[in-house]
Amino acid sequence: MLIKRLLLLVPLILVLFLLQSFFWVPTYEKQAVGNPGRLVTYIEGSSGDAKILNPILSADSASSNIVSQVFEGLLDLDENLNLRGRLAKEWTIRERAYLLVNAQHRFPDGQAVTGERLLMRIRAGLETGRLPDMPEMEQPLELLPATERQESVSLLVPDDSGRPQIVEVPIQVKVPERIAFSLKEVDQDLFDRLTPVLGERYFEHFPHHEFIKPRDTVAEDVQDLLRNKYDEILPVGEHNPVIVFVLRRGVTFHDGHPFEAADVKFTYEAIMNPRNLSPRTPDFEPIKTVEILDPHTVKIVYKRLYSPAINAWTMGILPEHLLNAEALAGEKDERRLSEAAREAFGMRDSRFNRHPVGTGRFRFVEWQGDEFIHLRRFEEHWESPPQYHDYYMRIIPDVLTQEVEFRTGAVDFYGALPHQVARYREDPTYQSFSSLGFAYSYIGYNNRKPLFANPEVRKALGMAINVEEITDFLLYGEGERITGPYPKNTEWYDQTIPPLPFDPEGAQAILGELGWKPNAKGWLEKDGQIFEFNLITNHGNPIRKNILTIAQNAWKKIGIKCNTQMFEWAVFLNDFVNTGDYDAVVLGWSMGIDPDLFQIWHSSQAGPQQLNFVGYHNPRVDELIVRIRREYDRDQQRELTHKLHRLIHEDQPYTFLYAPLSTRVLDKKIVLVEEGPDGREQYKKIYPIKSGDITFHFHKWRKLEFVPDF
Amino acid sequence: MWSFILRNILQRLVLLIIVSFMAHSIIHLAPGEPSEVDPMNPRMKPEDIAKIRAAFHLDDPLHLQYYYWIRDLATGELKSFKDSQPVLPKIWDRFLNSLPLFVLATLLVWTWAFPTGIYGAVHRGSGYDRFTIFLAYALISIPGFFLSYLVILWVAGWLGVPVIGIKTFGMDQAQPIYRIMDRVWHLVIPSLMSALGGIAILSRYVRSQMLEVLGQDYVRTARAKGLEEDTVVYRHVLGNALLPFVTMFGLLLPGLIGGSVIFEQIFAWPGLGRLGYEAILSRDFPIIMTLNFIAAVLTLAGTFLSDILYAVVDPRIRLQ
Amino acid sequence: MNMTTPSAMPRVPAQETDALPEHETPWQEFLRIYKKDRLALGGFYVLIALLVLALGGKMLTEWWVVFDPETVRLPDKFLPPLAVPSEAVAGTDQPFGGVYLFGTDELGRDVFARMFQGSFVSLSVGFVAIGISLVVGIVLGGLSGYYGQVRLGIMTVDTLIMRFTDAMMCFPTFFLILTAVALLPPSIYTIMFIIGLTSWMGTARFVRAEFLALREQDFVMAAQALGLPEARIIFRHMVPNALAPVFVSATIGVATAILTESALSFLGFGVPPPYATWGNILSDGKGFIFDAPWLFFIPGIAIFVVVLAFNLVGEGLREALNPKLRRR
Repeated sequence: MLIKRLLLLVPLILVLFLLQSFFWVPTYEKQAVGNPGRLVTYIEGSSGDAKILNPILSADSASSNIVSQVFEGLLDLDENLNLRGRLAKEWTIRERAYLLVNAQHRFPDGQAVTGERLLMRIRAGLETGRLPDMPEMEQPLELLPATERQESVSLLVPDDSGRPQIVEVPIQVKVPERIAFSLKEVDQDLFDRLTPVLGERYFEHFPHHEFIKPRDTVAEDVQDLLRNKYDEILPVGEHNPVIVFVLRRGVTFHDGHPFEAADVKFTYEAIMNPRNLSPRTPDFEPIKTVEILDPHTVKIVYKRLYSPAINAWTMGILPEHLLNAEALAGEKDERRLSEAAREAFGMRDSRFNRHPVGTGRFRFVEWQGDEFIHLRRFEEHWESPPQYHDYYMRIIPDVLTQEVEFRTGAVDFYGALPHQVARYREDPTYQSFSSLGFAYSYIGYNNRKPLFANPEVRKALGMAINVEEITDFLLYGEGERITGPYPKNTEWYDQTIPPLPFDPEGAQAILGELGWKPNAKGWLEKDGQIFEFNLITNHGNPIRKNILTIAQNAWKKIGIKCNTQMFEWAVFLNDFVNTGDYDAVVLGWSMGIDPDLFQIWHSSQAGPQQLNFVGYHNPRVDELIVRIRREYDRDQQRELTHKLHRLIHEDQPYTFLYAPLSTRVLDKKIVLVEEGPDGREQYKKIYPIKSGDITFHFHKWRKLEFVPDF
Repeated sequence: MWSFILRNILQRLVLLIIVSFMAHSIIHLAPGEPSEVDPMNPRMKPEDIAKIRAAFHLDDPLHLQYYYWIRDLATGELKSFKDSQPVLPKIWDRFLNSLPLFVLATLLVWTWAFPTGIYGAVHRGSGYDRFTIFLAYALISIPGFFLSYLVILWVAGWLGVPVIGIKTFGMDQAQPIYRIMDRVWHLVIPSLMSALGGIAILSRYVRSQMLEVLGQDYVRTARAKGLEEDTVVYRHVLGNALLPFVTMFGLLLPGLIGGSVIFEQIFAWPGLGRLGYEAILSRDFPIIMTLNFIAAVLTLAGTFLSDILYAVVDPRIRLQ
Repeated sequence: MNMTTPSAMPRVPAQETDALPEHETPWQEFLRIYKKDRLALGGFYVLIALLVLALGGKMLTEWWVVFDPETVRLPDKFLPPLAVPSEAVAGTDQPFGGVYLFGTDELGRDVFARMFQGSFVSLSVGFVAIGISLVVGIVLGGLSGYYGQVRLGIMTVDTLIMRFTDAMMCFPTFFLILTAVALLPPSIYTIMFIIGLTSWMGTARFVRAEFLALREQDFVMAAQALGLPEARIIFRHMVPNALAPVFVSATIGVATAILTESALSFLGFGVPPPYATWGNILSDGKGFIFDAPWLFFIPGIAIFVVVLAFNLVGEGLREALNPKLRRR
């Protein structure tokens, strides 16, 4: 029977055909050995794909990873976390400050204030020494005449359903006469130092309403909102820090176009363009103007004192010629979009985001969605092209298969989990690195709830948890105990503060003094209420899940009943954290390099959707935070941050748990290649820099054919 | 005949609209926001979030959002929230990746299910029959990812050959035949894994259909006529037992999207299932909606096709 | 995957063949056939054992805590099966019998106790989900089959319900479940409901077809002629007769639900803590396959055995209830 035979033969042939393909595939071994190309190819395994390869639009880690290879910023951080010039060769920070003439005020001697008198008195004060400690002036004082300007303010006005909507209110601003100061360095106390001349309360009763008027009639509630912004629109004493960047000459983009000041200005404007919806807007919002002095000099003027603002310039610079209005218009034509789509077309829609062009060490080659991104080295890089010829980011979503690919050598690097690192550490074919990064984990208590209002209670809760055990067993030693809100590897962190002891009995004693006594079932009870609350965290983080269980268990032992729940990230944020409707959370922060803690700890930031979601409130902390962000002197800053660290530690608004070490595992054959004094290649072991990053010298990495011994 | 087809198509179009509206409502009424609206970005201000929400039409009433979606889909200018790229080309790329996996898995299912099922029916109650029953149920009872891991560890560990992804990296310089075979090899294990369950189910079904027909009177007659057993089984019985399977061809289509998420996740296969999964995770509404829509279109087209096919092959059915 | 529910297969309407020659009630006949099927019988015993295990698990880990699935003993993490607790563990934290029968997990919890507790949760996920699916399916299918011709505005009840059923079938099942589970707040009830609410379509179609056939049967006609109340006709006379095939598909449905739960766990959307299910023990364990293989194999094999048992029982029931295949 033909049919019978066919029914048997077809499946057999199919399977045989499939199985024979096995013999054509190179084994892992063949791929790694006898393939010189593999030694200069770096393959990284990533669990998620990049979203958008544009430095001003990307926010996820996979994209940032690629973007940092393709683009360069004006600055970056060197091995010791100090700023270092990249596309900018050098830079200077100065200040321009303005003092409005407050005609309603009277000098201490009773004379009314006018522009001329104010100028004379300050000048005299400077000359006679009545004004001590004044910073050095770059130019003499000036008296600027009164002017007018028109602008619009964006206000968040609740609509009928109570949801805030943006309303742009056009306003007319009459600027009175002003005294202008040009300072050689930034001084946040400049106006305080003028008190002997100005007298007390000069800044407090400026009649803003006479100078700021909406151009159209507006509702009363909008008027109120506008009033809140008066000081922002027309500050009586205005600090304008000024940064001048001198750009590096001879730098070109990957397409050969030279890099110039126009690109810097364009990048800034692109970020601030509301249509681009750039997540970087907040970093650049303090900028007042960006001015091109010549093709290789840019002057940035800031609206106010905000020392971390300069860090924003570590962000990659975009090529203007590929993304300006003309280029985008060209792309619209080419893609034959409909009228509506043309209308909405912006940088976000451009093909550039999938074919980026920057000035970095690697240039972009190919991106296959959810499969890989391929970069190749940029030979004409201004400093030096990297050792690796090719860079692949392979997307492998599953942790276990990532590990399989890594062990077989098909991937050079992946984000190994602590328990895997522990295994590799003993394996002679791998080198592993553990170093402190910028992240830390904590249990945050809702300080608004009466249960947690007392710092002593929070302290007792912290003392019940054995953090050492968590770092030892859960993290396999890949974590360090912390005591406060700064990253432990920065100078802002005060290393001298001792951590809370692990002392369940002590915790019970503290709670006992506060009236919490064990009841018949063993739960702590006070006024008929047992000590019970919910501890929640987000879904999808196995370590947080385990901390949840550990904390629950630890508190159970001292008689506290803790219920645990996990929620999907968006739900977790919207329904619990942002609304303040929770008891305690397990979370982590990934901090920046700057010492500004305003958003997380300042009491003004405790509203819905804000980051001080634990509702922490301490006036002394508030004052320190504001001083720190306005301070431009590093030593001063350090002193202030140590004070701040101690204050927060004493209040224990969080139980600060640990800072996870960033752990990395690489094949031992991957080394740093440097040119020795005799012109021959030298090999050095890869090492992490102060930020915990090992890829700082990535351009010098290469894989050797043998295992070096060091 | 034509009026039947026309009415059928019309009914399905109405159904399609209902389905897409249901999907739209489920997705938009569920809690949570697209990940682009990222309130955890420490420096994001409420003004910025309001801007993003407005750009995605998230504050508009549901029916308007639905209208925008339909309009953009129809003009082909629907954009993903995640990276603002047009949705349809994105889905097309992934479809091309999923297609070989799907085709091969289907081939394996259909070529293997028939011989096993027929043999089991003919030798009903034999050791072989009972063994295949057990095996079939064993195969559909193993969690797919459990078995896949075991196989990956075995192949990567013992055979030392790559199994993850679409192809081996760094083979760009190899001869075409090597590259093709490499791709085939990477297809083998994931498609086998996703075919196993199908083989088990379909072969059980083939077996019961065969038994059904074997019990018919005309089979008895054919045997009585003195026809060879093989002729009876493969000509008379098989032909009749095949009828319902013709309709299943139509129902295969929607399998392209559903179900493959886990295997694509494990084998790092950049297919449709993963596209959908990633979109769900980041609440990329346009992608989720469009995938659901396409799946519904495929299902409806599939059932339509199977209705027609059935009418064509079975003379007892008349379309009216 | 979308072929796993056999309910999707067209069922040949039951026809009464020749009159039964022997004096055997249908129930006796069913038992006789079922018992001959050794695989199905084996599956049945496994299920009985499993039920006992699940109830025991509920009692001994929650009501009288003999096996404590919650105690964290970090120093004792990743101990292999049959290991003895280290000295660092306090006396009150000792596992039952002083030995970790199935070893410990990454927090040093007793895997045996967790599996024991999980047996109840896993089974209840399966049963509740299928219960929901049965209720919805029988109600909608019954309505459509019995009151199908009643007109509601422009369409009949039957059209309305069957179009809705068709619409539900247009969604790719697993993708739909995943979407719903990912978007809704995670909880064990969400998962039960979603699995239930996405798997009733086959049952509804079954019951409808069965009702349509039964309506024409003499005994229903007779009951109607006698003027019995409709509820009585439906629930006393029709539902029991339509139930047999539904029961078969429900048995296999439980198996599918358990597998679906483990697949969801794999993607991180399974039953959230504090509930331990076999699915989430397995998916937690997969990350430690090189460090603690028992965390992967024990739940994996447990799921396999249970799902297999359900499937075999379902198959046995189908064979025993299928009039076409009887008495051969």
